[in-house]
Amino acid sequence: MKSILEDMALVDAAVGKDATYEDAARVLAASEAPTVAVLDDDRKVVGLFGIEQALRGCMPSYLLEMRHTAFAEDDLAVLADRAREVLDDPILEHAVDPVTVDLRTSAFHVAEVFLHEGMAGIAVVDEARYAGILGRAAFARAMLRRALADAGS
Amino acid sequence: MDVVVAVIFLVALAVIALEWVHRTKVALAGAGLVVILGILELEEAIEAVDWATIGLLAGMMIIVGVTEKTGIFTYLALRAAQLSHGKPLRLVLLLGGVTGVMSAFLDNLTAILLVVPITLLLADVLRITPIPLVLVEIFASNIGGTATLIGDPPNIMIGTAVEELSFLDFVVNLAPVAFFTLAVVSVLLYFLFRDSLRVAPDRVAELQRLDPTRDVREAKNVKRSIAVLLGTIIAFFLHAPLHIEPAVVALGGATVLLLVAVDDVEEALERVEWATLFFFLGLFVMVGGLESQGIIEEVANLLGDLTDGNRTAEAMAVMWGGAAGSALVDNIPFTAAMIPVVDQLQGADPVDDALWWSLALGACFGGNATMIAAAANVAATGVLDRTGHKVSFVRFLLYGVPVTLLSLVIATVYIVVFQL
Repeated sequence: MKSILEDMALVDAAVGKDATYEDAARVLAASEAPTVAVLDDDRKVVGLFGIEQALRGCMPSYLLEMRHTAFAEDDLAVLADRAREVLDDPILEHAVDPVTVDLRTSAFHVAEVFLHEGMAGIAVVDEARYAGILGRAAFARAMLRRALADAGS
Repeated sequence: MDVVVAVIFLVALAVIALEWVHRTKVALAGAGLVVILGILELEEAIEAVDWATIGLLAGMMIIVGVTEKTGIFTYLALRAAQLSHGKPLRLVLLLGGVTGVMSAFLDNLTAILLVVPITLLLADVLRITPIPLVLVEIFASNIGGTATLIGDPPNIMIGTAVEELSFLDFVVNLAPVAFFTLAVVSVLLYFLFRDSLRVAPDRVAELQRLDPTRDVREAKNVKRSIAVLLGTIIAFFLHAPLHIEPAVVALGGATVLLLVAVDDVEEALERVEWATLFFFLGLFVMVGGLESQGIIEEVANLLGDLTDGNRTAEAMAVMWGGAAGSALVDNIPFTAAMIPVVDQLQGADPVDDALWWSLALGACFGGNATMIAAAANVAATGVLDRTGHKVSFVRFLLYGVPVTLLSLVIATVYIVVFQL
């Protein structure tokens, strides 16, 4: 039986392991994928750079330590300073450990990975090589479409 | 077995001081050895734990965790900064003062974790380095925490171990010297840091634009949470005449808060720092092992011989020794070991409580000397490190040692003049 992933259009969003924060951010900004895969020379996934990592990078580092921020006013100069600081950083400094699923894995397993890992997008691999990015929302929509079609028939 | 248990305790202290392994793992491993080697039976180990301290800590963790969500502490810290109008002396006094008062009534670790992130943002807004302000807050948290029974872990342990000492006794005997010391230390720190705290006028205007009421307005159950917190603090003041233990006050306050202001109990309980509670459990068992083998008694006798029974010499040995021990190790295990020693020195019919206040002042003030001396120091410098403002061990010492010495000189004069 074919896996749901084999029927889905995966999005290609990847950079090499020597890329910078700016390179990955540009791919992320231009792509529909919520995550960019960081690949080594053998096209194996060595990291993931998602929306959360992008935000962490371009916001002041103490934001994560704060629990209340409604009082704050935007200080664009501070944000611009922070962004300038990270643009040339190696992407692996900002990427998280890869979360991958095999192209032929079950929808059940993919759903479990999304629910437990909390990533907006994960890398799909085919025989350990990068095949594309699967977004949480795209996967959920595909599952819903299939469930509604099955229920209708 | 007395040598074995002494070695277990000393090795545990060394590993905690060197931070090779998380302190909770060390304490639990030490406690495990005490039981496995038969130094204490399991029932004796359970009896060795001061459950009142554990209850007090757990209750306060719940209360602070829930009330912290109201944004009220963020409001206080921001208002203090705004009241300074960017003037360096006022900034040091107000941020130090707010941190000190919050430490006295929450606890110093919580206070520091609440104010340091806000300080990082303030420093960004004011375009100054946050390190001086965070150092001021660290020192203020350890000094301010000295003022009450619940302000600093050493005081919590002393207060629950010595039933005769009430919350009010701590306030009456320690708050004046703590806040006087805080004021003197703040002025010293201002002179050390004033050049790096100068703020441009346009940045002061940015600071005043922040709206500290917004977080409070947006939070749920604000009035109920703050009412329970204030009620709990009032109950602490009244616990002795009402014949209620401080741990019962804290756990009672936490229970009321869960009943009236919390929808998701599991989320509220997530704020309980289980690692800290298990650290205390392990420590109590190790100290119980030391007591069972007569080592505590021997240390007390040795201290008594060295001071020749002179009350002033005993108090100074407890305070300065306590400060040195806290600075080198960590004030929590050191206080856990010193409480039974001081208890022995006090004897059956003590003439005063000077030795307890000496221990509290030594252990709490000693927490300022080094980066590892108190949990608040470790937490605050950790936040600085993670946000790109690393403070080295030596740099901390350069400020921590003078602050500690100045504090201890004030405490010495206080004990000698007012307590002996």
